[in-house]
Amino acid sequence: NPMCHLGSLQIQSTVNRDGFVLVTVLQGLSNRFWSFTCCKLLSLCLCRVFRSTLTSIPQTQSLLNKAKLPLGLLLHPFKDLSQLPVVTSSTIVRCRSCRTYINPFVSFLDQRRWKCNLCYRVNDVPEEFMYNPVSRSYGEPHKRPEVQNATIEFIAPSEYMLRPPQPAVYLFVLDVSHNAVETGYLNMVCQSLLDNINALPGDSRTKIGFITFDSTIHFYNLQEGLSQPQMLIVSDIEDIFLPTPDSLLVNLSECKELVQDLLKSLPNLFEKTMETQSALGPALQAAFKLLSPTGGRMSVFQTQLPNLGVGALKSREDPNQRASAKDIQHLSPATDFYKKLALDCSGQQVAVDLFLLSAQYCDLASLGCISRYSAGSVYYYPSYHHAHNPAQVERFQKDLKRYLTRKIGFEAVMRIRCTKGLSIHTFHGNFFVRSTDLLSLPNVNPDAGFAVQMSIEENLLDMQVVSFQAALLYTSSKGERRIRVHTMCLPVVNSLSDIFAGADVQAITGLLASMAVDRSVSASLSDARDAMTNAAIDSLASYRQSVLTIQQPGLLAPACLRLFPLYILALLKQKAFRTGTSTRLDDRVFAMCQLKYQPLAYLMLMIHPALYRVDDLTDEGALNINERTIPQPRVQQLSVEKLSREGAFLMDAGMVIYLWVGRNCNPNFLTQVLGVPNYTAVPQNLYLLPELDTAESQRTRAFIGWLRDQRPFFPTLHVIRDESQLKANFMQNMIEDRTESALSYYEFLLHLQQQISK
Amino acid sequence: MVTLTMIARVEDGLPLAASMQEDEQSGRDLQQYQNQAKQLFRKLNAQSPSRCTLEAGDMAFHYLIEQGVCYLALCEASFPKKTVFAYLEDLQTEFHDQYGRRVPTVSRPYSFIEFDTYIQKTKKSYIDSRARRNLGSINTELHDVQRIMVANIEEVLQRGEALSALDTKASNLSSLSKKYRSDAKYLNTRSTYAKVAAGAVFFITLIVYVRFWWL
Repeated sequence: NPMCHLGSLQIQSTVNRDGFVLVTVLQGLSNRFWSFTCCKLLSLCLCRVFRSTLTSIPQTQSLLNKAKLPLGLLLHPFKDLSQLPVVTSSTIVRCRSCRTYINPFVSFLDQRRWKCNLCYRVNDVPEEFMYNPVSRSYGEPHKRPEVQNATIEFIAPSEYMLRPPQPAVYLFVLDVSHNAVETGYLNMVCQSLLDNINALPGDSRTKIGFITFDSTIHFYNLQEGLSQPQMLIVSDIEDIFLPTPDSLLVNLSECKELVQDLLKSLPNLFEKTMETQSALGPALQAAFKLLSPTGGRMSVFQTQLPNLGVGALKSREDPNQRASAKDIQHLSPATDFYKKLALDCSGQQVAVDLFLLSAQYCDLASLGCISRYSAGSVYYYPSYHHAHNPAQVERFQKDLKRYLTRKIGFEAVMRIRCTKGLSIHTFHGNFFVRSTDLLSLPNVNPDAGFAVQMSIEENLLDMQVVSFQAALLYTSSKGERRIRVHTMCLPVVNSLSDIFAGADVQAITGLLASMAVDRSVSASLSDARDAMTNAAIDSLASYRQSVLTIQQPGLLAPACLRLFPLYILALLKQKAFRTGTSTRLDDRVFAMCQLKYQPLAYLMLMIHPALYRVDDLTDEGALNINERTIPQPRVQQLSVEKLSREGAFLMDAGMVIYLWVGRNCNPNFLTQVLGVPNYTAVPQNLYLLPELDTAESQRTRAFIGWLRDQRPFFPTLHVIRDESQLKANFMQNMIEDRTESALSYYEFLLHLQQQISK
Repeated sequence: MVTLTMIARVEDGLPLAASMQEDEQSGRDLQQYQNQAKQLFRKLNAQSPSRCTLEAGDMAFHYLIEQGVCYLALCEASFPKKTVFAYLEDLQTEFHDQYGRRVPTVSRPYSFIEFDTYIQKTKKSYIDSRARRNLGSINTELHDVQRIMVANIEEVLQRGEALSALDTKASNLSSLSKKYRSDAKYLNTRSTYAKVAAGAVFFITLIVYVRFWWL
């Protein structure tokens, strides 16, 4: 019986079109070779979805404490995947006791029984599972797609639904005060909606609605059969009610013309408004009432501090404290109205996304709660203005397009399970934790990242591997109930040197950033900063004492952690945590929101931007994707030392890309790429590279396009000259340099070394 | 008011489409009714009656089976049956037209969830038309009451005659019984006298016999 042999392992690896490595394991068995090598390979594969801070799990909690590194997982469960196997099966095979889904890391004892890899219970293989529809063979349950793929999606049977699948429901809540109309955002939103109205994810049941507000709330009756949309104004904001029971949320396919009429006329309706007050709280309550029967997504656009009705906020920021070297105040919410409303929304499967487009202080610390607990997202466009800030306008437009057309899941829940002995104690991200490990996500979108921290409750003796499984149950926009399951398996080690050899420095940095945000809000910012520095000191000290046999002078770090001090320094100089440099409170709070929300890949760019020299791009080592040659310049260190007046440098900071042009830049670059005769002719606010027919221009634009394609949001491009205002932003990212309030990289390393040798 | 409408395949209970009307009162119970509906679907088979009403507290399930598909509606017990079944038949014709052919082939639950829009529109029209029909039926009921009242008066009149006849008979009965009573009394006294006289004669005979025989 071939199932009983601990036979040979076959691994095929292919590189598919997008450059991802696919590893297909053809026999899933438990032997030592399998557990150490294959786990790491598969975990590498999954590293885009599931990442652990330590790729070799310590055997005991005391060992973990000795290593002084945090143990946690970072996941990106709803990431857009180019290949996703989908299984429709009448029975979904799950462990009887712990309800884990069958996965590639279970062991088959014989043909009829399988052993769960999370709780070690032996289960029976159901009869239907013995037949493999893909290969049309019987008797080989280990060849079924559920056991061959670590990421898989099931079509859920009706036991997985509390109610019939909800339709896609989109409600837009728009600020139409004088301030809002001034910025001109309304035009952009309406235009974007008109352009993308047929691309909104959904089916024939999709519903849409609009609410606008200033000091009163305006509803729009879009009933089929009306000749034009009717506006209904409710001015009783103390006790908000819905003016008509239906036709405020209408079926999109049936009332499309009315919706389009409304979108065309909306900007003009409020052109002359003089209202300066904003009743955001009552508007949110009205929107919640409208959405609570079905659930759905609420998109709120706000351009000023809400100052009327329930949930009104005061301006708490003290501009003189922006550059404070001590603690920063007002990082926690001023009122719990928004959190309470978010929890109510979460209970009714409504998610709230907030778009903040203001130039003044808007107390994002309080407003952000509405998205944080309802699994929504926060978008921030400071000083948005249609004429004065065209770069923001372009970014808003591209972000809106992505926001409206990206994949979306409704009424979702996620559960993360791990092998007996490990337990999860803290969760990071935008969601509400419903019971010990069930995350309630009214909406799930492909741009959200989550993190969890774990501890080792029982010693993992006699175990060679541990497994983790994240299961996301959601309703697709077409009314299908689906379960997306990701499973990861990691080896267990019992020596400190192995733990250090398997540390994932980027995941550790990401998890530390989330933990530091929590610490700054609950304790203080300086506590958080100290904690981050101590994380570096403690772990490197532990390495020095416990692992190194020969004590040498100097600062020593294991290969995996050699960039750890650099990333910690980058975090300390990040907008969220920096002190001594003037930072607006809203900018700081938004940076904190991003640190907790962004998936790790984009987060690392935010923390440690990538610097390239672009005035001498060559085709050497270039990638060839879709018949375009994409040059691959080397990443430079973030230090002014590496900049040169004779060159042009590109800095990719995640949400924004800076192109700094040196004063004595190569005139070839200026003419061929920027299209200007000399340095003084470079325009001040250039945010778009001209499309010239030269080879250099094509290379540069291909490179920038390639950088932009790799992420779902659209980074703005700024071309900076020496005198530009944005030069300060560019220079702030030079984290290896010393500033008046922070150490240089070299000094930081010295500081660490001093602390370690104490 | 129809709170819940569900359409499922009879042979395996697979739900095909559904529509729920949530309001503040029904929220919690709706979960329980939904579970009952799902259990009901599983119990149905080819032998089940094609139309049936099941009572559940103050709500009632009405279902209709046609062509292997079951159409179920949950509404208040007081809701008129005729309207519900007319509504279910409307759904049945439309559903069969649109999706009838594909029903045996699907395996995913709620494959035809898009039918929800039609269900909601039909529901609204039946409730609306029910309101209109209600007015009409109130009218007819009023007429009925009028006729019944008229009829009753006539009956009452007829009953009045009967009543007076009854009255005379009753009074007759009372006088006759009085007479019977006095007669009975008279007879009683006469019989008592007769008894006493017989006793006296026997006693005298006895004394005469004793006087003349023993002396």
